[in-house]
Amino acid sequence: MSKALIIDDEQQMRRLLRMVLESRGYEVCEAAEGQLGLQEAAFHRPDVVLLDLGLPGMNGIEVLKRLREWSDVPVLILSVRDQETIKVEALEIGADDYVTKPFGTAELLARLTVIQRRRFTRQSAEIVVGALKLDLLHHEASLDDAPLKLTPTEFALLKVLAEHAGRIVTQNQIMKQVWAGQSSDPSEGLRVHINHLRKKIGDAGPRIVNEPGIGYRLEEA
Amino acid sequence: MSATDSPSAPPSPTPVSLAEVGQYSCGLTLVFVLASTCWVLLPYTGDLFVALVFLMAIVLAGTWWNRGPVLMMAVVSALVWNYFFIPPQFTLHIDKPQDMVMFSLFFVVALSMGHLITRLRAREATLAQHHQEREHLLELKHRAELLAESERLHRTLLDSVAHELKTPIAIIRTALDGLGQGNPYAKEIETANRRLQRIVESFLEMTRVESEALEPQPDWCEIGDVLHAATKPIQEELAAHPLLITGTTDLPLLRLDSRLLAQVLGNLLHNATRYAPAGTHIEIAASLAGSTLELRVRDHGPGLPLGAEDQLFEKFYRAPDSPAGGTGLGLAIARGLMRAMKGDIEAHTHPTGGAEFVLHLPVKTRSAA
Repeated sequence: MSKALIIDDEQQMRRLLRMVLESRGYEVCEAAEGQLGLQEAAFHRPDVVLLDLGLPGMNGIEVLKRLREWSDVPVLILSVRDQETIKVEALEIGADDYVTKPFGTAELLARLTVIQRRRFTRQSAEIVVGALKLDLLHHEASLDDAPLKLTPTEFALLKVLAEHAGRIVTQNQIMKQVWAGQSSDPSEGLRVHINHLRKKIGDAGPRIVNEPGIGYRLEEA
Repeated sequence: MSATDSPSAPPSPTPVSLAEVGQYSCGLTLVFVLASTCWVLLPYTGDLFVALVFLMAIVLAGTWWNRGPVLMMAVVSALVWNYFFIPPQFTLHIDKPQDMVMFSLFFVVALSMGHLITRLRAREATLAQHHQEREHLLELKHRAELLAESERLHRTLLDSVAHELKTPIAIIRTALDGLGQGNPYAKEIETANRRLQRIVESFLEMTRVESEALEPQPDWCEIGDVLHAATKPIQEELAAHPLLITGTTDLPLLRLDSRLLAQVLGNLLHNATRYAPAGTHIEIAASLAGSTLELRVRDHGPGLPLGAEDQLFEKFYRAPDSPAGGTGLGLAIARGLMRAMKGDIEAHTHPTGGAEFVLHLPVKTRSAA
């Protein structure tokens, strides 16, 4: 059974999330503010944390920073719209994904499942996302067992996205991993390569979805 | 002496002003009056006293007058002292060597006095000017700080209002999901909640557009991504209207704020779904002319009310027989956002029926960059 920690200042929101999560078999603990949330996290060692960005007192970003000093637990950000810069900041200091309030329960649960799945998947030299297969040993990709011809950059890019399959990856994170931050106009090159990848993968494989102002998400078709 | 002129003195060689002419004549008069007075007193005081009186007059004049008149006074009083007071009187000739020395000293002291004092005043004036400039700058800075502060306050207020309004909507949404889809009453609440969410978001967006707290953040993007972002939030409404998209595949990468443009398109599409009968197409055509992106969104509804092509972008404007449940803000926001991006939007009824909205947006393209 997974343990989830909810850090949100809205009591009703906490109560509802508790009901939703408990109905899916989660064991739930909660905190109404950041400092308490950190204590709960240390005490209960949750498997996943749902963190509201708009906390009073110590804000969500600060909580996340402190949490990341000692914990690797998957964190899902709960945010309202129009906070793109804060969302990106949260993702870059170690949040795993976000949902935007108001969110559907299905979306929330799907995101939770995906972010809990991560980190344990890197045991083999092969990444599989739907019809797409990446062989990290030989740097080869295939789609429905048909080889996919990719340039080294495209392969590196697809690898980053596939490693985070179903999760958002910010533009900066991609840049860092693929180009090591060396590019004159990074986003332009990134767009070009994404474009090529989309064409090569076509409709058969997973889709590369753009989230404006944030980054990309590889979604299984 | 003028070679040591301080460089910090303000550019003074202006043509002799009226005030300066006055000072010259005053200087001459003063020397004359002092000379006459001392002439009377000479038997009791001796000629050295006269020199001191002259020097004092020069110092005093220096504190008020310009350099020219003071130097003139120095020269004239030296000559007067020599001519009338140093024996032998009524000649410029000097007999005794010590009187010669005295005269030279007087001349030097008078000249340097005049020079030093006027230079001091010039420096004082520059300092005052600098001070004034600094005050002015400080005031400007203060004003800018105030403005930034009020903007931040505004933003904080907007954020907190947004949070307060959106939280209950989010709670209703989550609770409804828990109720399940079976209940028809729940379905009604959900519809109403979605509507409420739209209204709240429209009001917040309108406030943001009007407060000019809106700064476009252009980045390279693919028009397909923009369309995806625009249509995703209104998938349900668009289900009844097949989209016909043309011209997007030929476009190069564009540099624009995709979030804002997506919102404009979303508003236009949502509008179209409200006015056009279910089942009719909505057409989106994209093209690039030079560095201007043109997007046309056309529906097959009743078209626009005659003569209202511009009015409908006004806040709270509602077309005469528009369906209930709109805020009259969607198009006003669309125009506000387009203008924030240095573009614009216009509308007309298409010759073959239906409303058509045309967006123009200056963009950088990949090849041009």
